[in-house]
Amino acid sequence: MNTALLTTRLRRVPISVMIVCLILTIIVVLAILAPYVAPVDPSKQNLLGRLKPPGFERGGITYWFGTDDLGRDLLSRTLYGAGVSLGVASLSVVVSTLVGVTLGMVAGWFRGSVEIVIMRLVDIMMSIPAILLAVLTVAVLGPGFLKLVLVLGLTRWPRYTRVAYAQTLQVANLPFIKASELAGAGAARILFRHILPNIAGPILIVATAEFGLMILMEAGLSFLGLGIQPPAASWGAIMSVGREYIERAWWIVAFPGACLFLLVFSVNVLGDWLRDQLDPRSRSR
Amino acid sequence: MSVRLTSIAAVLLTLASSAAFAQSKDALTIDLSGDAATLDPHLQWDTNSYSIYRNIFDNLLTRNPAGEIVPQIAKSWKYADDKTIEFEIRDDVTFQDGSKLTAEDVAFSINRIIDPKLKSPQLTQFDQISKAEVSGPNKVTMTTKSAYPALLAQLVKLSIVPKAYVEKVGDQEFNAKPLGSGPYKLANWQKGVQTELEAYGSYWRVKPPFAKVTFRTVPDASTRLADLKTGKADLIGGVTPDQAAGMKSETAIKVLSAPTERVGYLYINAEAGPTKDVRVRQAIAYAIDRSALIEALLAGYGNPVNIVGAKPIFGYTDKVEGYAYDPEKAKALVKEAGAEGAKLEFLTSPAYNRATIEAIQQMINEVGLNVEIASSDQATFLKRRQGEPANAGSMAFGAWSCACQDADGIIFPLFRSGSIWAKYKNPQYDALVDGARVTLDKNERLAKYEQAYQILKDDVPGIGLYQAFAIYGANTKLNWTPTANEAMFVTDMSWQQ
Amino acid sequence: MLRYAVQRLIQAVIAIFGVLTIVFVVMHFSGDPTLLLVPPDASAQMIAELRHQLGFDQPLWVQYLNYLGGLIRFDFGQSVVQRIPAIDIVMSRVPYTMMLAGGAIVVAVGIGIPAGIMMATRRGGWLERVLTAIVVTGQSVPTFLSGILLIFVFAVTLRWLPTSGSGDFASLIMPSVALGALSMSTFARMTRISIIDELGKDYVRAGRARGLSMGSVVTRHVLRNAAIPVITIAALEIGNLLAGAVIVETVFAWPGIGQLAIQSIQSRDFLVVQVIVLLISFVYVLTSVAADFVYALVDPRIRLAR
Repeated sequence: MNTALLTTRLRRVPISVMIVCLILTIIVVLAILAPYVAPVDPSKQNLLGRLKPPGFERGGITYWFGTDDLGRDLLSRTLYGAGVSLGVASLSVVVSTLVGVTLGMVAGWFRGSVEIVIMRLVDIMMSIPAILLAVLTVAVLGPGFLKLVLVLGLTRWPRYTRVAYAQTLQVANLPFIKASELAGAGAARILFRHILPNIAGPILIVATAEFGLMILMEAGLSFLGLGIQPPAASWGAIMSVGREYIERAWWIVAFPGACLFLLVFSVNVLGDWLRDQLDPRSRSR
Repeated sequence: MSVRLTSIAAVLLTLASSAAFAQSKDALTIDLSGDAATLDPHLQWDTNSYSIYRNIFDNLLTRNPAGEIVPQIAKSWKYADDKTIEFEIRDDVTFQDGSKLTAEDVAFSINRIIDPKLKSPQLTQFDQISKAEVSGPNKVTMTTKSAYPALLAQLVKLSIVPKAYVEKVGDQEFNAKPLGSGPYKLANWQKGVQTELEAYGSYWRVKPPFAKVTFRTVPDASTRLADLKTGKADLIGGVTPDQAAGMKSETAIKVLSAPTERVGYLYINAEAGPTKDVRVRQAIAYAIDRSALIEALLAGYGNPVNIVGAKPIFGYTDKVEGYAYDPEKAKALVKEAGAEGAKLEFLTSPAYNRATIEAIQQMINEVGLNVEIASSDQATFLKRRQGEPANAGSMAFGAWSCACQDADGIIFPLFRSGSIWAKYKNPQYDALVDGARVTLDKNERLAKYEQAYQILKDDVPGIGLYQAFAIYGANTKLNWTPTANEAMFVTDMSWQQ
Repeated sequence: MLRYAVQRLIQAVIAIFGVLTIVFVVMHFSGDPTLLLVPPDASAQMIAELRHQLGFDQPLWVQYLNYLGGLIRFDFGQSVVQRIPAIDIVMSRVPYTMMLAGGAIVVAVGIGIPAGIMMATRRGGWLERVLTAIVVTGQSVPTFLSGILLIFVFAVTLRWLPTSGSGDFASLIMPSVALGALSMSTFARMTRISIIDELGKDYVRAGRARGLSMGSVVTRHVLRNAAIPVITIAALEIGNLLAGAVIVETVFAWPGIGQLAIQSIQSRDFLVVQVIVLLISFVYVLTSVAADFVYALVDPRIRLAR
């Protein structure tokens, strides 16, 4: 088997990747359309109809996913929860990418004392366990959607910085960048117009891996009672309630759990594939 | 450092050797949500700590199953005047090292806990005491700063520690290796893991029912239930009402519960925000369906109350008429106050039941207000709740117990102006609770509390929701009747024959 | 080389110092433990008094300097909750954390690396698909859920393993699996990638051309060369495991550092948290410095690139 053949085989999109892309699309579309497709108000309680199994009917409404511990429709909650889980994860990935990549490029481009300060800061941040830092920061800031995004984003940026830094070092010596520097281009222009497009691949790989982790981190914070404010709920928050009822009402955990699994699974499969395509040598994680 | 390495090695060794300690009839294993913070009974006062250390120590006074204050280390007592009380001390009690418990130890215990040098968080409960002196053989005289009727109720919480031992080993060592006169002595304390106690053979009161008692630290409620089901634990604390409802179908385990002095209540900010208007506060009171909360969320483990106080407390009254569930009236009041859609911040923390908070939120929203939950961790919650009225949210849920079964321990700290919890000011109310605090005559005190509760009802700086139950899960073969003060005295338990 | 080593160590010390400072400041901004310690009926005056006794009424910089002063004398301070030296509390948990981290590493390495080798050498086969599914599952289930599911299946229903606790080997199994799952996936993917990387190199093709079987090329040459990046990851994963245990330890009542950390943060037991953070960052910085040294020894070019 020669290299060219191997490459063409890799370039072909395997069926598994197409399936996960489809799953991702469905989840994103449902999350966006939640207000239109959800059968009832997700925070409408019914204390007389709590912990009812899937298929339970009442007042002309069928509860396809059953009800939770306050008698709320789990299908609607799962649909709305998709938006929260996806929103927190994707926005926090955006925040950490913005911060991390900028700092990484700056460190790699300017070198010297800037490099030392930034990279030691990376060491500092990386050596405080992210979950501890998140718990501490939520304690100071208080919980809430935007704060959660900030906390997760601002604890995870060093991972991007490392990659962006290493990649910038490699790219910085390329002839065309040297040329534009000599032509008098400003640092900002060089970094964002020339370097960024050349290092985007490896960063994309980190971002996909981090996306799955962010979903799990948000779920973990919900378990510790520091997630999104009720009655709004992410999948993680619904599941952390449901685990108390795992014997009496398995459906509370099962449906959002299955969705969360499908989402993270899909993102990971997609990420692995992207990594193989873009950078088979990546050792960034 | 090398000492520490040896201790690490020792832990590893014990772990290897103590593999699966066989359960026998003579042992009892209890799962609690946390470890004792301290075993020095004069330091921390949290449920997990005192559940353990009150089996190692005796108290000056105690409560019988009916909740009345009865002698323990003190045989009897009498008031010399309003501020002076003399206790007669038993002379047949020995500490677990064989030494005799004397009046010296009792006086020392009181003076130790009120000594600022100890930095005891419990100091607040005993700060009305100015001093204690030995006033004769087996006699101790205690002086309070003013007449203080709740004194005896507070002394129920006072553990007697051995003067000679504490002075010999020092505070820090005493905390690590406590020694008391109680039915059980400390055998082994693996911090964060478990506390093992063994019976003290010459205990003066009764023969301890189990040779060995182990308190395990299991933070997760689901895991505790799994432990009980598999026989890893014989008794578990902190059972949720839903877990209890689910346990009823099981045969090997049972639910033990008791109505307690703990009262579920809602604080409403009377000094800031939309709830500054008494009509809004009244609307909230009318909006809450207590029976739905109790039936659905507490699975019946609760009794409705009209006041912020439950039956087992001194000062409880059923003469104050509460607010019945009446959403129409509530809506009308909201409209009258012009507060439709007003944003109310509902402070809470993971320490409080989330479902209850959400259910209350929904009930209040249904009468035309807009409640937003602001959940933060406990330390932050307390900082806001106890801080400036403007920043203390509009309402918060709580489950209050002073472990003293007296209205003074509830409505004084909650609503007396100037108290950290109070976001409410009414001079008439203040005068009543201040007066009740220094009135020794029982009927006069009761009358004052009844009036105070009536004022609270009219002004609604908070409302009582229900009397909480303590819920435990136990092996079917365990005999035990939980009590109103949530105490866990092992001597009250036994295996069925 | 020596200059590089000294430089790196100085930077490491500064990094640890930075960690301690950040955590100290953030912790103190989140309030002090006094309110959590007093009984509910405490008056404002009593709270102020206890706060004063415990020293939390001093300005932040005074508290910070006091803390640093103690640190220089290797005095890590006393826990305000348990009233014993903070270092003793943390050290008593270290053996449990080591056991759990060890168990998780065994799970992660024992399953992850063979799975990664299989995935790299049997590309396109059904085995690769099954293993990929297992590996990705490992990182797609929140630990608070996998933990309770394990308890429910293996302890409550099948009664094979103890539900919780830390007294014996059997109770180590489930927490190790729950904690090791995430790292297992990391190892499997890293192993897979670095083997694929090696397989593309000339010496492999040369070996194959000389008539060596694929299996012997892999075992004799590829594994050894692919091991270096995997070992680096292992060093970093140890740091992650110390902390990732927060939820696992809560679910399984495992008395390690993770559970202690979360409880100490919640109860604002500042000095205990500081010791934990110091310990974890020390381990982390130490492993990453060690990894840098190994690289620098193996490949002198790295000294220039880093």
